[in-house]
Amino acid sequence: MGIKLSGVIVIVGNYGSGKTEVSINLAVRQKRSGVHVKIGDLDLVNPYFRTREAKQALSNLEIDVILPPNQFLQADLPILTPAISGMIKNPGDLSILDVGGNGVGATVLSALANAFSSQDANMIQVVNPFRPFTNTLDGCQSIRKEIEIASRLKMKGIIGNANLIDETTPETIYEGYTFVSNYSKSCNLPLICITASVDIIDQLDIQQFACPILPIERQLVPPWKKPQVLGPKNFILH
Amino acid sequence: MAKVLMKGNEAIGEAAIRAGCLNYFGYPITPQSEIAEYLSRRMPEVNGMFLQAESEVAASYMIFGASAAGERVFTTSSSPGISLMSEAISYCAAAQCPAVFVNIMRGGPGLGGILPSQGDYFQATKGGGHGDYHLLVMAPNSVQEAVEMVMKAFPLAEKYRNPVIILGDGLIGQMMEPVEFPDHLVSTPSDKSSWATSGMATRKSTQRNLVRSLFLVGNSLEDNNRCLKAKYDQMKKEEIQCADYNIDTDYEALIVSYGTMSRVCRTAIDILKKEGIEVGMIRPQTLFPYPDAIVQKAAWKPSCRVVTSMELSMGQMVEDVERVVQGRRPVTWFGIAGGIVPAPEEIVDEMKRVLHAHQS
Repeated sequence: MGIKLSGVIVIVGNYGSGKTEVSINLAVRQKRSGVHVKIGDLDLVNPYFRTREAKQALSNLEIDVILPPNQFLQADLPILTPAISGMIKNPGDLSILDVGGNGVGATVLSALANAFSSQDANMIQVVNPFRPFTNTLDGCQSIRKEIEIASRLKMKGIIGNANLIDETTPETIYEGYTFVSNYSKSCNLPLICITASVDIIDQLDIQQFACPILPIERQLVPPWKKPQVLGPKNFILH
Repeated sequence: MAKVLMKGNEAIGEAAIRAGCLNYFGYPITPQSEIAEYLSRRMPEVNGMFLQAESEVAASYMIFGASAAGERVFTTSSSPGISLMSEAISYCAAAQCPAVFVNIMRGGPGLGGILPSQGDYFQATKGGGHGDYHLLVMAPNSVQEAVEMVMKAFPLAEKYRNPVIILGDGLIGQMMEPVEFPDHLVSTPSDKSSWATSGMATRKSTQRNLVRSLFLVGNSLEDNNRCLKAKYDQMKKEEIQCADYNIDTDYEALIVSYGTMSRVCRTAIDILKKEGIEVGMIRPQTLFPYPDAIVQKAAWKPSCRVVTSMELSMGQMVEDVERVVQGRRPVTWFGIAGGIVPAPEEIVDEMKRVLHAHQS
């Protein structure tokens, strides 16, 4: 099953749900499938672990990375580069926007209302049920409503990103899949895909999932670990 | 209990609640603002107090006041904010008020930057504020350890009636790891009726309690300072915590490192081992009291030719390492203080350089 996405994709969710890792891997997967991809770092609220840290790896794959000007990259200032607005108006094949966490992080989207008015943007909620505040369906609903109000956009889909980073087991993925399937039904929004690290994906029985799996090649790692090398070819699911 | 995936800052906030602390006064500053944000949401759920003060100075005196009234209380900040709080920290120490402070360090001096640093080692261990006092200083190197140290900090602060500080760096606050909150670290607040200004009626007492840091009469100031010193001496006997790595080998060099930097060093030691070079590491978990005897014993091991203090600072802990090694081994320092955490390979290169410069 392929993941079909085009136009403007806005990736939102609660803090630490894995929006950036999902955005990066989604961009890489679509690029490798021959789609022209742009990715914009719209995280104005988080000081560390943002898309900008994977800039080199993404540029190497000829993915366009839209960032604030260089001298402001490490500033804790909410800098919105005009290039983002241009990207929304002219998304090309696929433009992915990696937005900051919660309603606070999504507030910036309402400032882009003018750009969004001409585009049918797909806003997608990333959910990791092993995170505080999104471990219940009510918690996920409330984050979704908070983001919809702050962004003035409607949620169009869900990505399940169940993981405990290095301590993720197949059970984590199965349990997470059941949770996001229920969430998807409860709010009547499609489950676009779930994710699984390439380290454990081969241990999964993929027949259990009725949606595609986005393999995660982890890029946002602490300094004592190495990000996975992003080669030109997609990870093949067996 | 099932693990959850938490950012260090969130986990620190939750750990305080689990430890039975229901009072938080604070002021936001990167890279630790998520603690306040998390608690602004969680404290109302547990009938606790969350208050955003008008400044760090105000928050720190709210800590002093709440502690004097017998409440478990804590605050969190990052380097420049801790500088502003240092006056009240000195007052808390003088008045023997237990409280927990968390410093998620960023680069300094001045406003510095928002990236990780260990530049507040001196501030935390050697004073910070004025006068003859010490904080009990704990330095976690993982989100799980930050949780456990926060939970332990409250009973320790009460045991010594002294402020405790958790010294993390920006990465400890910002990184995500799976955590659990151990039930055995939940503690009951101690009985403070003999000294806290909790109200005579509440205490059913006719005796007034007075909390003060001003001592004008006779020998009272000297007596207070003697009393504080006795507590710090007791901490040195009872509270030292330390971890080690690759220490059972005949290591040629010893690294002393704490917090985030020790995680990088651990990977570097693994790389060196594969190349046939044995390097050991001592990781102080308490920075005051400092593990003098443990570092000294490890440094004086016959196979060890050189001792290196690895820090995210321009050379602060190295002074403690030099003090305890007493000149019996060469002591070197390697550090980075611009907000960048070095890669393990940089530590590997430095250890090779140091070993080459100090051949047997």
